[in-house]
Amino acid sequence: MQRIAEVIESSTTRFTAGAYELLEAPPFGALVRAATRSEGLVVYGLVYEIRTGSKEPGGRAVVRGRTYSGRELYDEEIYAENPDLAEVLQTEFSALTVGFAEEGRIYQYLPPHPPPVHYSVYPCTPDELARFSASCDFFRAVLFAAQIPSDELLAAAIRAVARARPDGREYLVQAGRELAGLLKDDYDRLSALVRRIRP
Amino acid sequence: MGLDLTALSRQVRQMSGAAVGGAADVAARAARARARFVAAAGEEATWARAVELSRETASWLLARPVEPLTTVRDLPALPPAYAIVATDGSQIELDRHGGVACYLINIGRVFIRYGHRPSARLDSRPTLYYRDEDLYLSDGARRVPIEGNYLSARRDVDEGVALAALADEYLTDDLPALALQDGTLVRWALAGAERFVQDHFMERYLAYLERMRARGISVASYISRPRSPEVVGTIRLMLCPDVDVAAGRGARCSECSDVRAGREPSCSVCQGLVDADVLGEQLAEGQRGPLFASMSRINLERYGPHLIHFFHMRVGRELCRVELPRWVADDASRVDQVHALVYDQCARGGGYPVALARAHEQAIVRGADRRAFLQMVEGSMARAEASAPVSAKRASKEFRRG
Repeated sequence: MQRIAEVIESSTTRFTAGAYELLEAPPFGALVRAATRSEGLVVYGLVYEIRTGSKEPGGRAVVRGRTYSGRELYDEEIYAENPDLAEVLQTEFSALTVGFAEEGRIYQYLPPHPPPVHYSVYPCTPDELARFSASCDFFRAVLFAAQIPSDELLAAAIRAVARARPDGREYLVQAGRELAGLLKDDYDRLSALVRRIRP
Repeated sequence: MGLDLTALSRQVRQMSGAAVGGAADVAARAARARARFVAAAGEEATWARAVELSRETASWLLARPVEPLTTVRDLPALPPAYAIVATDGSQIELDRHGGVACYLINIGRVFIRYGHRPSARLDSRPTLYYRDEDLYLSDGARRVPIEGNYLSARRDVDEGVALAALADEYLTDDLPALALQDGTLVRWALAGAERFVQDHFMERYLAYLERMRARGISVASYISRPRSPEVVGTIRLMLCPDVDVAAGRGARCSECSDVRAGREPSCSVCQGLVDADVLGEQLAEGQRGPLFASMSRINLERYGPHLIHFFHMRVGRELCRVELPRWVADDASRVDQVHALVYDQCARGGGYPVALARAHEQAIVRGADRRAFLQMVEGSMARAEASAPVSAKRASKEFRRG
């Protein structure tokens, strides 16, 4: 698959990528793959935030739906009438690092190095997502990540995996069990999460 | 001690009081000047001749009427699709107290295509000038440093050259197209320059205009809130008791008959007025006023087939000035096209052409980038082991000493 974005900020636990096409980010909870400096090593992340704004630091978009001459423009028309917008706005997404693959083997813990800034980010195919989800070890990293909507993120990721796997229904049951173990002393949180992934 | 704001605020209040008082006086005099201007409609040839007769001896700027003085042109229809290129530049001059002599010119470049297949390209191109021939102009005997006005002239020329390159790169189909610059096309900054300095800049600038003419791409520039008094200069001739076109006599300010008779000069009505004060009244939204040729010396002596013309156009509460070279001004359909496209750019940009606003955004060097650039220069000089001491004056300004 073609690359969709480029890393613009990177740390051990998460990375942010700028999308090449305005408003074209992978969906919330999607698994993405970032290239690294070593050929056989790729880093996996779950998209937990998508934002679009001015490329200029501190810059903000202005309303454009009512033109100077009083014409009303709606939604896509605004982009068609202002081709320069695609050049001054940028869509970015941030991903929580949940593992990596080295020489074809998948590890669900943090890689030795984060993906370098300016390296490519690719969407994962359903096959790749199914392969990555062979283990549920990454649940823990997501649940206990700070300052992100972690329960929502994990639920979205689990639903996406279930859609990508032929045995989706069984996967949901298995994921529910795993969550019950992880959240055994927080019933409210567990039940809210389970409701989000119920088949 | 920094700025004494208490002392300053009193002066600011006085200033705003004076500005309010002046406004009513300006409006009254503008009405009188406008009445004289409108009364001269139909006598364009006479006043064009008067301008020719007076241009050496009048002590103010003049504009030669090219169209009837009461021309009011409605906004022409906008083509369904068009392309525009624009450039704007900014410069960083390393002050002579710094370690190394150089300057940076950053050119913001914009291409936008509207209509079917809309697209846009924005970028900026920095160039560092540090070689001897970049820092000084020389005709063998004299050496003139490129700084201040001349640096601005270089930037203006670079903007033009970049615009021609953009046109070559992007304006390759037969869509209606416009190359737009910010500010004036008349290189005033060179008016008082020595001949070889003028030659240096004007040759490159005119070559750019010539390239655009050969490509058939209209060039125009946009001046927001123009302060020029050229049409007002022509109205002064209309008020001048000494002008007698039939007798071949123009205005001679050094021998003003009013002054000699101990009167206030008849043209003093026009004192402090600008063209917009006079031309603004009769133009409704999107309309343009008559075309004039700018009669400044550098324009007449240097521009030839590119002689800069201008018209005024109403955009919201502002009256803007659009300048065009002669080969655009001579072609009515091109003038209409420039009129429609520049207005459309203003409409899209909320009163100021989008392409120029974008070019400016690309060109501007913000504080953080500026500091990064200066550090880059210092760091690189240090690594190259080139000694780059700063002056004692600069060093003394770095810290406030206890």
